[in-house]
Amino acid sequence: MIQLEGISKEYRSGRGRVLALSDVSFNIEKTSTVSVFGKSGSGKTTLLYCIGGLERPENGTVTCFGVDIHSLSEKALCLFQRKNVGFVFQHGNLFTYLTVFENIAFSLELNGFERNAIVNRVGELLEGIGLSDAGAAFPYELSGGEVQRVSVARAIAHSPQVLLADEPTASLDSETGRDLVKLMFNMGHEQGCTMIITTHDPDIIKLADVRLPIQDGKIEPEDK
Amino acid sequence: MRYLKFWIKIAFLFLSRSVRSTVVLSLMVIIAVSVLIFLSALAIGVNDAMIRNSIGLYSGHISVDFLPHSLNPENLKINGVAGVLKRNPIPGILSNEDHVATITMIAVNPVAESKHTAIWKKAIKGRYIQNGENSIFLSSMLAKQLGVQTGGMLQFHPAISEKSVTLTVSGIYKTEIDYLDRGIAFCPFEILPVKTTTWRAAIFLKNGIDPGQIIRRYRQLLPKSLGFKSWKETMPDLLQLINLNYVSMSIVMVLVFGVVSVGIACAFVIFIFKNFREYGIMKAMGVTPREIACLIVIEVIMMNLFASIVGILGGFLAVLIASRTGIDLTYFTSHNRYFVVSGIIYPRLTFYSLYLPPILAFFFSMVSATWPAGLVARKKAADILRSI
Repeated sequence: MIQLEGISKEYRSGRGRVLALSDVSFNIEKTSTVSVFGKSGSGKTTLLYCIGGLERPENGTVTCFGVDIHSLSEKALCLFQRKNVGFVFQHGNLFTYLTVFENIAFSLELNGFERNAIVNRVGELLEGIGLSDAGAAFPYELSGGEVQRVSVARAIAHSPQVLLADEPTASLDSETGRDLVKLMFNMGHEQGCTMIITTHDPDIIKLADVRLPIQDGKIEPEDK
Repeated sequence: MRYLKFWIKIAFLFLSRSVRSTVVLSLMVIIAVSVLIFLSALAIGVNDAMIRNSIGLYSGHISVDFLPHSLNPENLKINGVAGVLKRNPIPGILSNEDHVATITMIAVNPVAESKHTAIWKKAIKGRYIQNGENSIFLSSMLAKQLGVQTGGMLQFHPAISEKSVTLTVSGIYKTEIDYLDRGIAFCPFEILPVKTTTWRAAIFLKNGIDPGQIIRRYRQLLPKSLGFKSWKETMPDLLQLINLNYVSMSIVMVLVFGVVSVGIACAFVIFIFKNFREYGIMKAMGVTPREIACLIVIEVIMMNLFASIVGILGGFLAVLIASRTGIDLTYFTSHNRYFVVSGIIYPRLTFYSLYLPPILAFFFSMVSATWPAGLVARKKAADILRSI
């Protein structure tokens, strides 16, 4: 289970102090899929980063599967992220100098997988995302949808407990976006992942088990 | 170890697949290393030329006075010695009618002298002395003082003998070196009317042999009372000049790399900012700041290794080409006493000239990579991801 209790996060910018999250509390059951939606600047990404340990909240606690992640040291938090968290970004953000195979293998190598296991696992994932023949291709040789599929495969490769996706369909057309999220949810379920996705797309919002609307840094009552 | 291998692989892929940026960044190091290898080899060549000129003109690498006649040149020919010249210095008066000069006549073996020294090349009139002839080879200053030209006759009155000898001037030389141009003249051994009790030796060594090592051997083999002196003792001015050359060359290298390292640091920051996004993604994937810094350091080491190897090859080739023909700087050295025989410089590679530039390049590149590495390592993943 992922528990957020009284999370607040503030930024200082040229416009003064901006309250990105204000006293946010909710629980997410293991293996459930969650969509966080709201306008731009409502605090979706900040919420995702706080759950993933990329951002430390000023107040409150984030407990991921029994670990208060923001009480961890910097190194321990990195190691926690490495093992338990997978990220899918808006534009895929693959490593441009690595092939598709190497991109997916990156998180596996980082987690100390053996060479044979890596080869098998990457092969399996490439087949899962329908890009079996693209292992040797570089990211610039792929379409936007393919890049995002590889990004999902990379995020899920090491079987993390939680998969966080920050507007992964933003750069895709609606149909491709929906297919990608379906693929992500299917693969995540197979791995037993808890998945949280931020989005604007109403069709994608509906695909999640739990929907969390966010406005001005506050979560509205859960609407199932 | 396993993780190190992984980061080495990632760094290698990063550099090898970002060919353009790697080459552009490496180019500065390659050029700096090549140029400095060549310049330092040239500095070594200048030092060599000064030593070669100074010892090759007359004095030899090692000199020793007051050798007993019980010893002969063969006794001094040990391993590493190319030749030993026997010289008998005899003080006396040289006269030409009313003109008189007090000199030290050096009796020599002209054939051996011509083989190992270059003083005969300094003849401005006539030629060097030959065995079996009553001839004298004297400086232009002395010739002027005595009012004599080549073919003219001079009387030599040794200080330690009643007998005098008549000599024909075979040649007149000019070295621009005080102790050779004033109060000294040369004649063949056999025409001297007196026998000396001791002799003087000029010892010439084979290439690359350290005079100190030979002197230590002589001290083991010969009486300790014999005062062997290396050129470093007899020519402290030359030694100082050579050391000065090393110091100034080292300063130049440090300064050049100081400047180059600023360029490298700036280029590296651009290089790293270009890939800032990817370091942010790595951080989001759980890569620790230490691992990020380690990755950047490995990239710097690899890039330097590549640049240094290419730079060394470039410098090596340039030195190889230049050392075949030599670089003729006679125009700039013709009035310099340290280039009295030849102004041709042969650049030479030594440990100093071949390895100091890449070592400095490595050191300065590491220093210049610290800033961007620290910058990326300290920056929060969220900040990087938001800024792209």
